[in-house]
Amino acid sequence: MSDNNDEYYGDGAMEPLAAAPEVTYNWVDVTSDFFKYIKDLQLGELLHDGLLFGLFEAMSAIEMMDPKMDAGMMCNRGTPKPLNFHQAVAADKLKIDNIEPNELIGIIDATMACIVSWLEGHSLAQTVFTNLYLHQPHSINNKILKAFCIAVYKLLDCIRDCINQAQVFEEEDFQPMGYGYYLGSNPQSGHTYDASLEVTESKCISLLREQEEELNKKTKNTEAEANILWTALAARIRFTRMFYQALLLITKRDSKSGADCVALLNGCSEMMKVIIKTSGKGTQPVENSDSPNPMGFEPMINQRLLPPTFPRYTRIKPRIEALQYFDELVSRLRHAWKITSCTNFHTAVDFFMEFSRQRACILSRSALQLLYLSPSPATTAATAQTVPSGVPRPHHIFIEILRDSIKNFVNPPVLINKPMMPGTPQAREVVETFLTRCVRPFAVLLQVCGHNRARQRDKLVLLLDEFATLQEEAESVDAITSGSMGTGDCPCFSTWVLYHVLRVMIAYLLSGLELELYSVHEYHYIFWYLYEFLYGWLVSALGRAEGLANETTKRIEGKRAGVRKQKKRTRPYAREGLMCQVMQNMCGGYYKALVAFKLQGKIRQPQSEFDNEAVRYKHRFAPLSGLSPPQVHYHEFCEMTQPLQYENPVILYLGGYKHFQQARSLLETITVPDQEVQDLLKVAKTNFVVLKLLAGGHKADTTTSPEFDFSVHRHFPIIKLV
Amino acid sequence: MSNEGNKTTSEAPQVVEEEGKAKLRKWLNMKFRIEMTDGRVLIGVFLCTDRDANVILGACSEYLKNNEGETEEPRVLGLVMVPGRHIVSIQIDDTTPSQTYYYDEYLIK
Repeated sequence: MSDNNDEYYGDGAMEPLAAAPEVTYNWVDVTSDFFKYIKDLQLGELLHDGLLFGLFEAMSAIEMMDPKMDAGMMCNRGTPKPLNFHQAVAADKLKIDNIEPNELIGIIDATMACIVSWLEGHSLAQTVFTNLYLHQPHSINNKILKAFCIAVYKLLDCIRDCINQAQVFEEEDFQPMGYGYYLGSNPQSGHTYDASLEVTESKCISLLREQEEELNKKTKNTEAEANILWTALAARIRFTRMFYQALLLITKRDSKSGADCVALLNGCSEMMKVIIKTSGKGTQPVENSDSPNPMGFEPMINQRLLPPTFPRYTRIKPRIEALQYFDELVSRLRHAWKITSCTNFHTAVDFFMEFSRQRACILSRSALQLLYLSPSPATTAATAQTVPSGVPRPHHIFIEILRDSIKNFVNPPVLINKPMMPGTPQAREVVETFLTRCVRPFAVLLQVCGHNRARQRDKLVLLLDEFATLQEEAESVDAITSGSMGTGDCPCFSTWVLYHVLRVMIAYLLSGLELELYSVHEYHYIFWYLYEFLYGWLVSALGRAEGLANETTKRIEGKRAGVRKQKKRTRPYAREGLMCQVMQNMCGGYYKALVAFKLQGKIRQPQSEFDNEAVRYKHRFAPLSGLSPPQVHYHEFCEMTQPLQYENPVILYLGGYKHFQQARSLLETITVPDQEVQDLLKVAKTNFVVLKLLAGGHKADTTTSPEFDFSVHRHFPIIKLV
Repeated sequence: MSNEGNKTTSEAPQVVEEEGKAKLRKWLNMKFRIEMTDGRVLIGVFLCTDRDANVILGACSEYLKNNEGETEEPRVLGLVMVPGRHIVSIQIDDTTPSQTYYYDEYLIK
């Protein structure tokens, strides 16, 4: 992913590009003629060459002098031409020596604010590289700043490497373009690559360490006032070093580095406390200025490197917010580290989903991917192919993870490595092929969890397509293995796939609620589908998996003369099964309430001439077709829900409130409730009360639509009567 | 700037209309140099215009006007629309042969 492949837009110093072939023009002024001739055109009439140019082309032109489209406009806002590094140094506007500690703190904090702005999706050219010091780090005489600037280069490269490997970003998350700044090895922008300026990772770290020690010495020999500044500066340099080292370990993950990385991240958190506390000590940006620091930053310096339609203008995140962001980023990375102790694939998937729910930033999402799998799930998915027979299968760590997952979940006899177990080599071969086939969809599943919430929905649809073929293969594997093992019908592999398919289906439908894609008048069939089918199927899939696993265990133990008969049967999925029942009841509650609302005319329906519920229904559930269990069609929906249309709304409200009551009492059995459980409990309790009121005839006559408030839980709204 | 044009139009609308449009049509696909109100200069191929003098230029480059004249490197913009109210002056390059000339030559051959 070298930057050299990027289109080259010039460098920060704005030196002229290679001379274009000389063109001479003979300009003749036609201003007045032109303005005279255009009067002959009718209002709205376009004069153009109809063959080559039409309205379509006209619409795609950039409008000049529109601040939203015209990036070049900003260059001429009466401000003088921005100075580049050398010009600024010559004009005494940029100190490269004798920089006061408070100025250093200001520059460093502003640079961090720029990095945060970059991580929030802005371009490098408009954020970090507005820092002039970064244009010529080797020309800085101040050693502290020089070490910091070189480290920033390396850090940017490392961040970009991490994000690129994980491949969980979209254009709104992150801009990978480098605009001609060579990141990483050669921190000196320009056309020429100078190998002598190359700084290795270890060199960079030792440069920072040196400065850290120097600063520590200084803190000992100075009086209190200056001491604070030097300590603050030392904390920043130390943070930079530890953050860089931690990120290097994450990106180039190897198992031995675990303890180091945790220690480094903990150190980062410690330092960040000091940095935030001392953020007021540095020079502060001038009020109403676009520059994040009085010295060293030139917001417009790269404006002419940007593509013509480029977004405009970037506001750098305020310093204190940016430092806060860094602090949270470090905590998120520490949290992400916990994935390394998830040995079970199912717990790992849960962890990924939970992590995504917190709407983590792009860097921590990417780090999570790399921490779980190296190479990343994206790379794993991209390189997984079906290997033609005869060629030895590539050994992949992910295959072992999946194999363990299946073993834990359904424990198929064919995967037990015991000499006494029957089974033909052919059956084992089939299983191996199947596992290889699983790599891609399951790696993609992890990758999808890393994407931002809004993008996940579309990606889940594509994933469902892949799972559809996998389901078919799982069934044939089950048929072959059951036959060869003589175990009778034993749908181990298909149950395992089904479990994941159902979870993806549920995630897909729920994401529509989270993203507010459904209208209120559509809610009833969404909740109906979840309540009647998906959660029910999921519960039964879990039950079946448990049964299958126990059966195999019994069979083995039976051969061992039943010594451990007393062993208590554990129910590994008790909690998950319980949560499914909770969700199922919640959905049932909403469904019944919604039908009742509809019967009482409380929900605005679309005008009949614009309405076709069958089409909407088909569209909403289209991605679920092609899988098994098959999609429930609209006519089936109509048949199944017909009787409710003649029901008394009060009965429906009563039914709904029983569901919420049930959900509530199930939730209350959980001894250690986490945030998710508490939120659900709050929703269930409130809705229970609301439906009880409604059942009692409260507001039965009004046709005002109830409100659905998603502020407590992203999927399950609180029903509010207004 | 356009007062004169208005007068002409009101005196003999029919004749001038044909003439004006035809003149504009002749300029299509020729190089234009437009100076904008903020001092930037755009050079590109004249593709389209309307009654409000909104001009569309193709393969357009932007030049910053500095004190020494147009020595600076251009920024490539591509297809742009310049709103009429931001146009200060328009110049046309009479070294580029117009499209019609090419057509004529082609037809003669």
